[in-house]
Amino acid sequence: MRRLPLIGVLLSTGLTAQHSQYLSDSKNPAIGNPKAIAAGAALWATSCTGCHGADGSGGRGPNLVRRTLWHPISDESIYRTIREGVPGTDMPPTKLSDEETWSLVAFVKSMTGPASENKVAGSPEAGGQIFRGTKAGCSNCHSIRGEGGRIGPDLTDIGASRPVAVLKESILDPSKGLHMAGQEAITVNLKNGKQIQGIARNRNNYSLQLVDRTGNLHLLSMLDVASLTISARSPMPDDYGRRLSPQELQDLIAFLARQTVRPPAPAGGVPK
Amino acid sequence: MIRLSLALAVFCLSAAAQVRFEDILKSPGEGWLTYSGSYNGWRYAPGRQITPQNAGSLVPKWVYHVPDARAMQMTPLVHDGVMYVTNSNNVYALDARTGRLIWKYSDARAARQGTNRGVGILGDRVYFTSADNYLTALDHRSGAVVFAKKFADLSTGITSSAPVFIARDKVIVGTSGSDSGIRGYIMALSASTGDELWRTYTIPAKGEPGSETWRGDFLEWGGAGTWLSGTYDPDLNTIYWTTGNAWPDFNGVWREGDNLYTSSLLALDLDTGKKKWHFQFTPHDTHDWDAQSWPVLLDMDWQGRLRKVVLHANRNGFFYMLDRVTGEFLRATKLIDNVTWASGIDPKGRPIVIPGKDPTPQGNWVCPSVKGATNWMSQTYNPGTGLLYVITLEQCGTYTSSAQRPVPMKNFSGGGATEEGGQVFLRALNPKTGNRVWEYPMTGIGSMWAGTVSNAGGVVFAGDDDGNLLALEAKTGKHLWNFNVGERLTASPIIYELDGKQYVAIASAQAIFNFGLFEPVKSVPLPKITIQK
Repeated sequence: MRRLPLIGVLLSTGLTAQHSQYLSDSKNPAIGNPKAIAAGAALWATSCTGCHGADGSGGRGPNLVRRTLWHPISDESIYRTIREGVPGTDMPPTKLSDEETWSLVAFVKSMTGPASENKVAGSPEAGGQIFRGTKAGCSNCHSIRGEGGRIGPDLTDIGASRPVAVLKESILDPSKGLHMAGQEAITVNLKNGKQIQGIARNRNNYSLQLVDRTGNLHLLSMLDVASLTISARSPMPDDYGRRLSPQELQDLIAFLARQTVRPPAPAGGVPK
Repeated sequence: MIRLSLALAVFCLSAAAQVRFEDILKSPGEGWLTYSGSYNGWRYAPGRQITPQNAGSLVPKWVYHVPDARAMQMTPLVHDGVMYVTNSNNVYALDARTGRLIWKYSDARAARQGTNRGVGILGDRVYFTSADNYLTALDHRSGAVVFAKKFADLSTGITSSAPVFIARDKVIVGTSGSDSGIRGYIMALSASTGDELWRTYTIPAKGEPGSETWRGDFLEWGGAGTWLSGTYDPDLNTIYWTTGNAWPDFNGVWREGDNLYTSSLLALDLDTGKKKWHFQFTPHDTHDWDAQSWPVLLDMDWQGRLRKVVLHANRNGFFYMLDRVTGEFLRATKLIDNVTWASGIDPKGRPIVIPGKDPTPQGNWVCPSVKGATNWMSQTYNPGTGLLYVITLEQCGTYTSSAQRPVPMKNFSGGGATEEGGQVFLRALNPKTGNRVWEYPMTGIGSMWAGTVSNAGGVVFAGDDDGNLLALEAKTGKHLWNFNVGERLTASPIIYELDGKQYVAIASAQAIFNFGLFEPVKSVPLPKITIQK
């Protein structure tokens, strides 16, 4: 039951239906080719979902979409892994043809590659208005190029550093798979009777580095702390599925996908 | 987007107020706001907590291992309890009391990895350059990107490693790549926008003044990189910046002439970048003796009148003093004992070259070695003792030349050089005379890059080849303390103050080490923690 809805999520983001040249570090024609991606999706469904999940979110095998240390994986690296497997693990070598392998690479890239390198449906301009507007209120907490709040993660490079699927998931279900380190919502009661609320950028039993809502840092010794209240959930609202229409959501994703510190990669190659 | 009802925010312990230009101007203070601690290049901390009497009680307070670091050459900056650290294309903000990470910025798509020597800070921004020549401004509380602008093109051979230097509203950046052929320059960028304000080339264009000092076809690849930071005199509104070697490094037949403005000190107007004067230490250098060592600014009595001078210990083996208003040569003395390429410096400041000391195809034994009598490792001037402390290297080497026609940007340097034997000394120099007051010999042949720092308590810190950070009495050179970090030291130490306590920090090859005077650790009771579902 799990596979179909998740594939539906991917389709809804436009990932597998893109029609422009996929910007990539390889020149193989399969990359960015809708037919190849569709062929790769079929191979994925039959050969890969058992371990990596229908949406690449993992299971017996690693999560390819939301990795702990996220970084684009080169096309050649994906190709080699598919062909040769990973010795010492359950990832076997395959006997796919060269064309089939590149189709699978094209699909994996479309699922896991940076959003900025994909053609994403929706209006980035409208998405920008949603980002800065009161309905979504994103910029109250998140900044882009110095504009916006500081308590949430900076989104200036979010398009170049996350796949579309993760952008969507992060908006709709911000606490899912949340790696809380650096993002804990926390209330600190000091021994002097004062209270500070904000986000713990780091903490251990001896010190706490906290940023309050106005963006000020508080560097605390635990010698001065009486008690902590920590939220198990992301401080980000989880009602955007209701707050935004499907079109508004898509526009917002399109806007975020455009956000890169560096200029977009030129067609045919990501700079080395 | 945040649901928290942030009803009460308490700011009593808040950190990271803005850094004004005036704050840097008044440095040194409790923090460390610019690469050398102050605009005059003294690398001196006014706090007196660490003294010759108690330095033996220094202990490590924390260590931060910088991910993927191999040979960090960075000087950390410290402001309001936060330490800013760089590695190639990465910036880390650390709690300066504990070494805990506050935020990290990673420029993962930089097209090149490379050495980075540190950030600059101004206002609420931290500035750093990527190895592929982007200036990025980050919010100092969060690491959020304010802007990222490309200021030089990798395709011209230019890379960036120089520490960012801030003066008034300008971000000054340098250029690297002289060893493969570049046309070097110094740039001022707007701290507000990152836009270019001025650019001063360190190699003249054909037909410009100075171009007559180049014969041959390689003027446009002449080198003169500007890969170290500089110093600044606010009264004269002048920055002092050194330039690197001529290219090709070891074969001068392709570039007969003095090769201005390589291996020089430039005095530039901060507002316009216009050159006020220059002084070339090593005309027609063929030994890769960049002038990248510190121009230390001092006002001192000289021959009966107060002069604004700039001190400069050069790789070529001599210790110079110039008038920093006019560039007039005042004096040069030998920095090391064994100098074989020149018999001295003439009254105009030009080296008296001994013939036959250029590199040859068979190899030519010359002192000092290619690493130089000193190098970019920092010096400290201590106003308490009136002495300048310089890491020096007594070393020679065999210089060879290649007859191959130079090819720019192909890692071709026109020859090579060996570094053989030798010994490192920390030397205390009297700026008035150029004489040595004391010297402290160290083991090793100068594989490290650690410089010096000193404080008002009368202690000088330095590094040695064995990985020791060591403390000496500034007045006498007496050993007080040492700690071995277990790996090579590749950067210079700093001193800062928090809560009335002095700390000494240094980047080793892979980590930041922080030291302070011993005090028993207090037992920390666990706070009551409630998890809110």
